[in-house]
Order: sequence, then C-alpha cells, then structure tokens
Amino acid sequence: MFGYYLIIGFLIGIVSMLNRNCMVRIILLSTFLAVQTAITVYAYFHLNEISSGYFKSDALGVIFLCVLTILSFTTFYHSFIYLKHRKDSSRSQSFYFAALIMLIIVMTCAYLASHLGVMWVFIELTTLSVAVLIYHERTPLSLEATWKYVFICSIGITITFIGIILLSIAIGETEITNFSFNAIPAQLLRVNTSWLKMIFLFMIVGFCTKMGLFPMHTAAIDAHTVAPPPISAFISTTLMNVGFVSIFRTYSIFAHTSILPWMNTILFLCGLISIIVSAAYLLKVTHLKRMSAYSSIEHMGLAAIGIASGGIGYFAAIFHMILHSFVKASVFYQIDQFHRNFKTYMINETGNYFNRNLPGALVFLLILISITAMPPSGLFVTEFWIFKALFTSEHIFIFILVLFFLSIAMYSLAKNFLYILFNQTKDLLPAQEKPNPSETLTQYFLLALVFYLGINPPSGMINLIQEAVKNLL
Amino acid sequence: MAGLVFILIIITSFFFLGIVIRTKSIFSGRKGPGIFQPMKDIWRLLRKENVYSQTTSFIFKIAPDIYFASVLIAIMLIPFGNQKGIFSFDGDFVFFAYILAVGKFFSIIGALDTGSSFEGMGASREALYSFLAEPAFFILMGSLALLTGYSSFADIFSGIQFGSYISYAIGILASFVLVLIAMIENSRMPVDDPKTHLELTMIHEVMVLDNSGFDLGLILHATNLKFAMYGALIANFFLTPGREWYYSIPIFIGVQALFAVVVGTLESFIARFRMNHNPQFIFTISSISLLIFFAVLLILGKYF
Amino acid sequence: MVNILLITFAISLIYMGIANRLSTYINILAVQGIILFGVSFIELIQINTINLIFILFETIVFKTLAIPLFLNYVIKKNNIVREAQPYLPDFLSVVIITCFLLGSFILSNIITGVHIRKMFFLVAISALLSGLFIIITRKKIITHIMGYLVIENGVFILSLSAGNKMPMLVNSGITLDIFVSVLVLGVFVNRIGNTFEEMNVDNLTNLKD
Repeated sequence: MFGYYLIIGFLIGIVSMLNRNCMVRIILLSTFLAVQTAITVYAYFHLNEISSGYFKSDALGVIFLCVLTILSFTTFYHSFIYLKHRKDSSRSQSFYFAALIMLIIVMTCAYLASHLGVMWVFIELTTLSVAVLIYHERTPLSLEATWKYVFICSIGITITFIGIILLSIAIGETEITNFSFNAIPAQLLRVNTSWLKMIFLFMIVGFCTKMGLFPMHTAAIDAHTVAPPPISAFISTTLMNVGFVSIFRTYSIFAHTSILPWMNTILFLCGLISIIVSAAYLLKVTHLKRMSAYSSIEHMGLAAIGIASGGIGYFAAIFHMILHSFVKASVFYQIDQFHRNFKTYMINETGNYFNRNLPGALVFLLILISITAMPPSGLFVTEFWIFKALFTSEHIFIFILVLFFLSIAMYSLAKNFLYILFNQTKDLLPAQEKPNPSETLTQYFLLALVFYLGINPPSGMINLIQEAVKNLL
Repeated sequence: MAGLVFILIIITSFFFLGIVIRTKSIFSGRKGPGIFQPMKDIWRLLRKENVYSQTTSFIFKIAPDIYFASVLIAIMLIPFGNQKGIFSFDGDFVFFAYILAVGKFFSIIGALDTGSSFEGMGASREALYSFLAEPAFFILMGSLALLTGYSSFADIFSGIQFGSYISYAIGILASFVLVLIAMIENSRMPVDDPKTHLELTMIHEVMVLDNSGFDLGLILHATNLKFAMYGALIANFFLTPGREWYYSIPIFIGVQALFAVVVGTLESFIARFRMNHNPQFIFTISSISLLIFFAVLLILGKYF
Repeated sequence: MVNILLITFAISLIYMGIANRLSTYINILAVQGIILFGVSFIELIQINTINLIFILFETIVFKTLAIPLFLNYVIKKNNIVREAQPYLPDFLSVVIITCFLLGSFILSNIITGVHIRKMFFLVAISALLSGLFIIITRKKIITHIMGYLVIENGVFILSLSAGNKMPMLVNSGITLDIFVSVLVLGVFVNRIGNTFEEMNVDNLTNLKD
C-alpha cells in the first residue's frame, strides 16, 4: 500500500511540475489530496502494520500524519489564493506545487519511517524540497534565508548522521545491525554510558535544526520570515512536527538506558533556553512573521520540557504539538490576508485591523487567546499538563523560570496583536484590497478544532497518543 | 668501521650542492655549471684572507669556526644502518639537536656582533624559524623512539627495521618531514631564497654579509655538510640491517643523490613564500610530526 | 596501509589551514576523494561486489571528479576572487587545526568499552571539527560548501570504521542526499553570485531583528 502511495505521489509531483494548465493542475492536486487522505485513513485503520520494509504505521506517526493531511487541504487552498494574488507565471506555480507535493510526501515518509537511516534520508529530503518553496519569491532576502536554511540544516543533519554511525559502532560488531526503532533499545543495554551520551548529543543537535530548538533555532526563524505565508504555515507546523517526531523517537530508543536523567537534563536545557531566547526576541520583534516564528520556538521549547519532565508530560507534549500545529497554521494563513491588506509585515506600520477586515481581526483575536493558552483554548489544557508533569517530577525551579518567561512572551504577543487590531493611527495606507471573508473559513475551522479538542478530546485521539507513549511509561 | 659514515657524509657534501644546482639548471633549460663548481668556489674562498670590521669583537672571529665544528660534531653522531656513529649514547638525538643549536647560537651572536641592523634582522628571523622547526624534529624523533623503544640514533635506526610495512611507511613520512626541516635549517627555497639580492628579504644570507674569505668558506661548506647530514639521516630509514656494505653504500649514495634532486626540483617549482607566511608553514611541519606521533601511539596501542 | 592513508588525510586537513587559494582547496578535496577511495577499497574488499562498486563510484566519481569540477565551474562562472580570505591569520588556523587533532586524539583515548578503531575516529572527528572551523572562519560563501564537504569526508571515514551495516537502499539514499545537497548549495551560490556583486558572507546579514 505504502509503495503505491509513494509511486503515485511522485508521479503526480512530476506531472504537476511539467503541467502548465490551470485546470489540469487543480485535478492533479485534488487527486493528490485524495491519495493523501487515502493513505492516512489506511494507516489509521491498519495500526502497526509494516509496509515496504522500512515503514510502519505506528501511533506516533499516524497522529502527525493526520495533522499533516488536514493541513495539506488548507495549505493547498491558501497557496492557490496566494499565487493568484501574486500573479505568478504558470511555470513558477508548477514548481511551487510540485515542490509542495514532494514536501508532503517526504514528510509522510519521515513520520512513518520505522528505520533510523530511512528517517534520516527523508528528513534530509524535507530540507531540500522546502528550500525550493522558501525561495519562491526570488528576492535577495529569500535567497539569503534559503541559503542559511539549507546550509544549517545540511550541517545539522550531517551531525545527526555521525550520531547514527556512532550508534551503529556501539551496537553489534559482526552481524548486520537492525536499525528499526523497535529493535534498537534491546541492543543498547550493554553499551557504556559515556558513549551513549555522545550518541544522543550528536543526534539531538541535528534534529534540533528541524524542530527549531535552541542551539539550532536560527535557520528556521529566517526561513519563516521570507517563505510564502502558506509555506511558513507548513514550516512552523508539520516540519517542526517532523523534528519533534525524530526527537521523540530518539528519546524513546534511549529511554530504557542509564542515561535517562542526563537526557532529561539536556532536553530541559534546550527547552528552557529556547523559551528564554524566544521571550527575549519577542520583546523587540517588529516583523509579524518573525514574531510568529519566535512564538513557535517558544512552543517547541515547551514541548521539549514536556518530554523531559516525563509522566503525563509525554502525553501533553504530543497533544501540545497537535494543537499548536492547528493554531500556528491559522496564524500564517491569516498573515497572508493581512499582508494583502497592508502590503507590509511590519507591525508598527499597521493597525486598526478591526475596521479594515473584521473576519480577519476576529481570527487574530481568537489566535491570541489560543496561542497564549488562555482557558477555553486547548493549549491551556496541554500547558497545564506540562506544568503538572513539572510538579510531579519536582522541577519547581524550572517551573518558575518557564512561567516567568512565558508571561513575558505572552505580554509581547498580546501587545503586538492588540496593536494590530486597535491602533488608531491616522496616517495608515488605505486598505490595498478587501479580502474575501470566505477565505477566513479555514482558520475558523482550525481554531474551532483547537477549542473542541481541548474541551472534548475524541477517544480515538487519546488512545493513539496513549499508544504512542506507552513504551515510555 | 665507525668512521665510515663520517667519511661518506664528508664525501657526499662535496657534490651535494652541485647536484642541486645542476637539477635547477636542467629544469630552467640552462646548461649550468659543473657538479663541483660550488666546491671550487668554496676552495677559492678558503684560500683567501679574512677581513674583519673594526667594530667586531673576538666573537665574530670565532663564530664561524664554532658553527662549522658544531656541524662536524653532529655528523659524528649519525649512525650507518645498524652500525653506530663515532659517538653513540642514550638520548644522543637530543645532543644532536642542541649541538646544532649551539652552532646556530654562535652564528646568530656573531651576526649581532657586527652591529649592522640588517644582520640583526636576519638573525632574529633565523632564530624564529629555528625555534619553530625545533618541535618538529623532537616530536618526530620522539615518536620514532616510542616506536622502537630506544633513545639513541643507532638503536632507533636498527630497531625501526622490524620488517613490517609500517616502518617503511613511517620512514617515508619521516623523510618528508626531514626534507622540509632540512630546507628550513639550511635556509633554502620555500622559506628563504639563497639567491636573493635584496637584504630586506634575506634570512641566512644577510647574517653572513660581513664574513669574508676563510670564514665565509667555512659557513658555506657547513651548509653542504648539513644537507649531507640530513640526507644521511633520511638514508638511515632505508638501510636494511644485516646487509653488507656493498649494498648499504650504494643505497646511501642513491638516497643522498635523490635527496639532492628533490631539493633541486622543489627549488625549481616552488616560489618563495611571503615572509609572513613562513611561520605557519614551519608550524605545519610540527603539526605533521605531531600527527605521526599520534599515529605511532595508536598503532602501538599505547594510551595514556 | 590504511593508517598511512588516514595520516595523509589528516595532513591534508592541516594543509587546508594554510591554503590561501580556492583552487588549492578544490585540489585538496579531490585528493581527499582519492584517499577515501584507497581507504574504502582496502577496507571493503571482502564485502559484496555491488556495494563495493557503489562506494568506489561514490568516492571516485562524486568526490574526486564531479564535485571539484562543479566547484571550479561555479568559481569560473561567478568570477570569484581566487583567494580564500580568512578572518583569522593562517598561523592561527594551523594552530587551531592542530589543537583539533590533539583534542580528538584525547577524546579517542577517553572512550572505552566500545570497539572502535581509534585512528578512524581521530581522523573523522578532526575532519568534522576542521570543516566547521573552515566554515566559521572563511569569508566566502563557496568556502562554506568546501567546509561542508570536508565534514562529509569525515563522516565517510567514520562510516567506513563502522563497516557497512546500513542496508544498500539506505546507503544509496544517503549518497544521493549528499550529492543533491551539494548541487542545491551550488545552485544557490550561483544565484547569490548573480544577485550580489561579491559573494561574501557580509551580504547575507540582512535578516535580523
């Protein structure tokens, strides 16, 4: 089944790169979405089935695959709107969609890969395919950001590869080592501690580039800034989920060795410093997309802390990533409209959004509530669980620090969003164009999902997440 | 028999520089002088009288003699395959390095004694480069000592030939380092150009500007001797023990000739470095010998 | 024999520290490709033929021919100044690379309990560090790619020391990835060359808060 998906997907990708006709493009994209939905449904109903040798539809992968599929619908829709307004040539549109299809395929593979090496290959491929998309606008700035993103990610992923090689040296000297995620933990038991620590460090540094955690967070920020908004939505959500999945899997294979406390310390450090860095930059940020990017970094830090604190934290971290994906995607979809209205991303050159575009302004208000984790939003629940996990694992000091910096971030986000909504400066440019209110429907849908999932999570999802973390507890 | 290698080195030194110059002339398409031309020049100088400046003291007068003598003593330490040199004792390679350093010290203070600012500049450069090249030699000899477990030249060179490929490989790498050290110590091409005519760019030549006649002849011939001495060190890596002298001597001569040709080739094809590139070049040699040291440690499985 | 090749590889790293022309860097990379060919040939002679051919193809065709030629093409096309323009004096570069060698030697001796060939480990780790160092201290964007290639070479050595435990499919994926990423980086270098007058890192500092 999975092999067919790959073949069909790649064929659609190639055809849509060659195709220049708009109608055919829509048909191709619909076909692809149908295929993507089909594989998601198939994977959901055939949990833990191994296909094509290196792929396995385990719970963790399926959760994020579902998120990816939901978001691909909305991203395709908003990409169409974005490209229509940019009046891009048919050729560059073809490249855009071909790269987007490739990106979705390789992310699907990265989620479902059950072999460490295969996961590595597909993570590297996400970098390459997203590079084309980041560079879509062809400006010097986008060139700079793409260069930095590709370069830093390549180096990061190479460092991860060193970790994988060291792992293969550590386990097994004669026979062909089994690198599937299920088989590794048993082989690690006789490896000595310092060696394990070194492997973990190498692997985590590389995956941090994808997830946007502290030591390697810079590339993702710049990529967010210049990428087309629908693509920023993808970088900030599904691509960071790829990083999260890889870190979670790495963590799981080491979780039963003696370095677990040390590993938790490292993740605490990464997470905490990510939050501190993002809070500091949020205070002075002036670019709306950069602000959203830093807010993503902050949430990634929270997720890392969730993993590190253990217990209910594992569950909360995964849940947090799901909800964050929906919120952050709607942020960037709305930013696209916002940009069409103001023709700028600079926060201090905008304002009075309520009068200029009421549906969009409401979206921003709801986003502000969700992203700062105020009670009705689902993120409140997950952050609450993360804090609970911090309490039960007796990390009061970290808890206080996190809380402090989160409130700083919250203040800056609220200040900037409210400025955009209510600032009454007279000398604003007239609205460049009035976005169609129907374009906000997707964002309302995603935000409603966030609220609904937080209040009343469906049992199917709960079961999946519990299945995903059951090895760790 | 102990004096055999001494005599061989002295003989080699007579034609060494000739081969270098001949190689260079062939590469540059000239007919070039005969092989013994440098020796004829030195012989001419040796028959001349010394001229001393009035500002110099006795140090300037004895410096060339001590320099020459130090090189001769150093040569006496060189073994020939498994045969000891004239002197041989544990740790003699340290003595070897420092007896050369004594000679260098005297040539430096001799240069300073003239009170010429050019010579002071040359002396400071020479001191700097020797200072940088010294670790290379010591680390190299140290790793060889570690490899064989002995600490005198003769024992090291007889111990090194235990027949495995590793000794030859280390030998090739060590020769590479030694060739470079010889180039630096003798102020040859990539570091210094003996044929330069501008005092500001000279290193060794500017130090001996005031020497004349017999003293200058001694200094020039000391260079030949040093080349032959390093050539003999390199040759020792390839002299297999137990072979009769009628194998060893041709190998020795062959290695020396090859060394001379290599020097000539290097000088023909390498441009001289800018003065500020020299330190890093010399330090590179130390790094390489450090690398050889690590390799020996790892090969032997000796860790700390 | 392998040890000698590895030492030669490490010497090439030191040499990279003092090289000041871009063409020298490219030559060093090509030589490193040949060295890797030698090492992998000796190491992997007894594994199956297809894998062997594949790895030889990777070293000779990719690392020794394709990538140096491609880099040369990029340099020619963009009229890049032929000097490397480091931020640090060369002397310091050599000292620091030597320190890397020393550090990785010490590291390789600290590790116990794992069966690893220390010579491979030493050279691989120092290649990794030197590559990162070259990336950090050189001004040109193209030297960044070269530093990345040095890192890749180090990774290659490390993977040789692990023997060949990855399945064939994964191996080819890895090679393809590396090749494509170099290609993509090269394409972007070309773009940068078209967009900016000089290809320095200083041009890439517009994105900031």
